[in-house]
Amino acid sequence: MANVRLEDIKKSFGNVKVLHGITLDIASGEFVSLLGASGCGKTTLLRAVAGLESVTSGSVAIDGQTVTELPPEKRDIAMMFQSYALLPHLSVSENVRFPLRMRGIGSREEQAERVKAALETVQLGHLAERKPRQLSGGQQQRVALARAIVSKPKVLLLDEPLSNLDARLREDMQVELIEIHKRLGLTTLFVTHDQEEALSLSDRVVLLNGGRVEQQGSPAEIYSRPATEFASNFLGSANIIPVTIESTDAGPVAVLADRQRLQLSQSEPVRGPARLVLRQEDLAIGKSGDIEGEVRTRVYLGARNRYVMVLAGQPVRVLSGNDHVFTSGEAVSLSIDPARIRVIAD
Amino acid sequence: MSDRTENLLLVLPGLLLLALAFFLPIFQMLALSVSGPGGPTLEHFARFLGDPFYLSVLWRTVKLALIITAVCAAIGFPLAYIMARVGPSLRLWLVIMVILPLMTSVVVRTFGWMVLLNRSGLIPQLFRDLGLAGRSFNLMQTETAVVIGMVQVLLPFMTLSILGVITRIDPRLEEAARTMGCSFLRTIGSVVLPLSLPGIVAGSLLAFTLSASSFVTPNLLGGARIQVLASSIYNSVTQTLDWPFAAAQAVILFVGVILVLIPYIKLTGRSDG
Amino acid sequence: MVKAVPTSIRIAAIVFVVLTALLLLAPLIVVVGASLTANQFVSFPPQGLSLMWYEKVLSSPEYLSSGLVSLMVALLVTVTATLVGGAAAIAIHRKQLPGSQVLASLFLSPLVLPTIIYAIGMLMFWSAVVGPVSLPVLWISHTVIAMPYVIRTTLAVLSESNPFLEEAARTMGANRMQRLWLVVVPQCAPGLAAGAFFAFNISFDEAVLSLFLRKPGMTTLPVQIYGQLEFSPDPSVAAVSSIMIALTIVLILVIDRLLGIKKFASA
Repeated sequence: MANVRLEDIKKSFGNVKVLHGITLDIASGEFVSLLGASGCGKTTLLRAVAGLESVTSGSVAIDGQTVTELPPEKRDIAMMFQSYALLPHLSVSENVRFPLRMRGIGSREEQAERVKAALETVQLGHLAERKPRQLSGGQQQRVALARAIVSKPKVLLLDEPLSNLDARLREDMQVELIEIHKRLGLTTLFVTHDQEEALSLSDRVVLLNGGRVEQQGSPAEIYSRPATEFASNFLGSANIIPVTIESTDAGPVAVLADRQRLQLSQSEPVRGPARLVLRQEDLAIGKSGDIEGEVRTRVYLGARNRYVMVLAGQPVRVLSGNDHVFTSGEAVSLSIDPARIRVIAD
Repeated sequence: MSDRTENLLLVLPGLLLLALAFFLPIFQMLALSVSGPGGPTLEHFARFLGDPFYLSVLWRTVKLALIITAVCAAIGFPLAYIMARVGPSLRLWLVIMVILPLMTSVVVRTFGWMVLLNRSGLIPQLFRDLGLAGRSFNLMQTETAVVIGMVQVLLPFMTLSILGVITRIDPRLEEAARTMGCSFLRTIGSVVLPLSLPGIVAGSLLAFTLSASSFVTPNLLGGARIQVLASSIYNSVTQTLDWPFAAAQAVILFVGVILVLIPYIKLTGRSDG
Repeated sequence: MVKAVPTSIRIAAIVFVVLTALLLLAPLIVVVGASLTANQFVSFPPQGLSLMWYEKVLSSPEYLSSGLVSLMVALLVTVTATLVGGAAAIAIHRKQLPGSQVLASLFLSPLVLPTIIYAIGMLMFWSAVVGPVSLPVLWISHTVIAMPYVIRTTLAVLSESNPFLEEAARTMGANRMQRLWLVVVPQCAPGLAAGAFFAFNISFDEAVLSLFLRKPGMTTLPVQIYGQLEFSPDPSVAAVSSIMIALTIVLILVIDRLLGIKKFASA
C-alpha cells in the first residue's frame, strides 16, 4: 500500500498536448477513478503512472519515492488492461504466477500458495490449468484481476477493465472490485468513461476534460454539486436552459426564454444571464406543475419512459415512471425541487 | 539498453547477411558486366545486342515468357474463381493441389514432363492414338514442351495471386448483377473480371519475370536447340568461362526484370507477409 | 459451389478443374509411377512393378553423398534462416525502427529477384573474394533465399497477436530478455516453425543456386538429378525424385498443422 503523488504532469505526443499539468495526490489505500470522455487524457495519465508513457515534464512518486525515470518493470505496480492481455501460451495459474516469477517474489511453494489464494479470491480456483482461449470473456477478466493482485503491488492500475464485458457481467465485476478493494485495501487508480461506474466504485472521482482536471471530489460531492457545465453534463443526464435570474420579493427567480418563471432556492447567489442545469431524473412530468411545455416523443425504456419535450423553444429530456403515459403533442407541466436546480453563471 | 537498441540488434544479423551476401554480390556482378581489360566498357553489352544469335535468344525468351504468362492467366483466372467460390473443404484440397507442385523441386517436376512428353510418353501416344500425329511425334525439345512445363510451374503463382483478390470481392455484387439480368457468364465478364484485374496483372508480372529468368525447365525440355537467356548465361559461365559476358547478360535480364517488377511492387504494395 | 450456376457451367467447371489437376499433378504422378517399373527404361505407365530402383538409389554412393550434402545444407539453413529471419521479423513487427516498411521490403527482396541472377552474382563474388566454392557458400546463399519465407510467416503470425502483451509483461516486472523469450518468441512460435519447415524445403529442393555453386564431390541432390537428366536417365532418377516428393508432402502436412495452409490461399 502506498500513496501516489503526481506533480504537474505534462505530456505531449509530438505537437499534440495531451496532459496540461496535472497534479494529483492519491492517499494510501484510496480508490480513485479517472473519469472522462475519449481523448481527455485519462488513459495517458494512467500509463504515465505505470511508466508505459514517459512524461514531458512533471514527476510521479510512489510511496515517497520518485519513479518518473523508472521503466514499468522497476515500479512496484500491477496493471489490468482493457483487452485482458493474458499470455495465451500459458495456463491460467502460470499467468497469475508470472508477476511473482518476474519480480522474484517468494519461493516456488510460496508462489503456488499466492496463486491459489488469488484465484480463490476471484472464484476461479477450478480453472487453474486451463488456457485463456478456453475461458469466457468474464473469466479472462477475472484471471487478469487475479494476476494484478497476486503481487500485492503498491499501486493497482486499471485501464477500463470492464468495457468489454456485457452489462450483467459488468455489474458483477463491479461488485467484486468493491469487495476486493475492501479486503485488500490496495491503492487503486481506475480509468473509465462511464460515470455510473466511477460513482459506484470510487472513494474519489477525478473528472478530466481536455487534459486538465475539471473537478474532483467524493462521488456524492461531484454528483450533487457539479461545478461546471461540462461536469453537469458528464455526471447525470442534464438539460441546460438559458435564463435570466432576477430578484423578486419571493426570492430569486429564473426567467426562461418564453417568459415563464421558475422559483429558485432562496440561497442562490447568481443574478443576470445564467444557465440552469435540470437533471432528467429530477424533473417530474405531470398535468400541473411549475412550468409548461409540450411532449414531442416518448421513448419506452421498460421500467421508465423518457420524454423529449419542448420547453421555452428548446428540447428537454425528462425521465418518468410508467404510471401515466403522455402522448406526442400533449401539453404537460414540469416540476422540480428548487434545491435540485443548479445554476451556472454565464 | 533501449527499445531502439534491442530492435537494432535483432535486425542486424539479417541486414548484414543481406548486405554482404545478397546486395554486394549483385553489385559486384553489375561492376563485372562493365569491366574490361582497359577499364569500364560497354563492349559486352554491345556484343550481346549486336549479335543476331543472341538477339534471337532474347526474343525467344521474351516471346515464350509472354505466351506462358498469357496461358497462365487464361487458366489461372477461372481456377481462382472456382477456388474462391467453392466450400471450405473443397477449397482446401484445391489449395493443396496448387501448392504441391510449387513446393516440389523444379528438377523433379520437369523430369515428370520429360517422361510424359518424349517419344514414348503418354501425351504423344495420345495424339497418335487420336490420329493427330505421326509415328515419330515427339514433343521434347520443342518450344511447346517448354511452355507446358513452365505453365505448370507458374500456374500456382498466378492462381494464388488472383485468388487473393477474388476472395475480397463481395459475392453479393455478383448476386446483384444476376438479379439485374446478367447471365452467369456475363456476370463473370462484367463484374468479376474487372475487379480481379489487379490480381491478374500482379500475377502476370510475377509469371513473366519468373519465366524470363527460368533455367532448368527450358534447358531440360527445350534442349540445346531452344536456348533462352538463362541457358545462354549458364553456358557463358560454365562452358566458355566468359564471366564478364555472363554478367552482362545477367544485367540485361536484371534490368528487364526490374522494369517489370516495379509496377508489380506498386500493385501489391505489401510487405507484411 | 455458387448458387444459381447453370448446370452446363457447373459441368464445364468440373471438367476444367479435373484437367487442371492433371496439368498440375500429372508430372508428379508420372515420376512416382515410373519409379516402380520393373524394367530398365523410364516409362509411364511402368512395366511391371518393383522396388528395385529404390534399392539401387539407397545403395548408390553418388545419390547418398549428394543426399547427405543436401540434408546437411538444409539443416544448417533451417537453423540460420529461422534464427536470423525470426529476429528480423520481430524487430520489423515492432515498427520502432525508422523505415520499417522499407526494411520489410528489403528483407523480402530475395523473393522477387530471379535466382539465376543471384546465382551468378554469388559465384562471381565468392570466387573473387574467397576462392573456390564449398559448403559455406551453399549454406549462406540458401539462407539468403530462405530467410524471406521465415520472415513472411513470422510476420503473419505476429500481426495477429495482441499488441498489449509486451506492455502487460512489463507491468508484471519482466525485463527485456524475459519479455523476448517468455512473451514474444512464444507468440510467434507457429510462424517460426512454419518458416523453418519452408526454409528446409526451399533449401533441399533448390537447384539453380546449387547448380552454379557446385564442384566435383560437392553436389546437392537436385543437381545430381539434373546431371542424370541431361543424359539418359534410368528409373533410379524417378525413385530418388519420388523420395523427394514424399518429403515435400510431409513438409506441407506439417506446415498445415502448424499454421493452416488456408492462410496461403490469399498469397
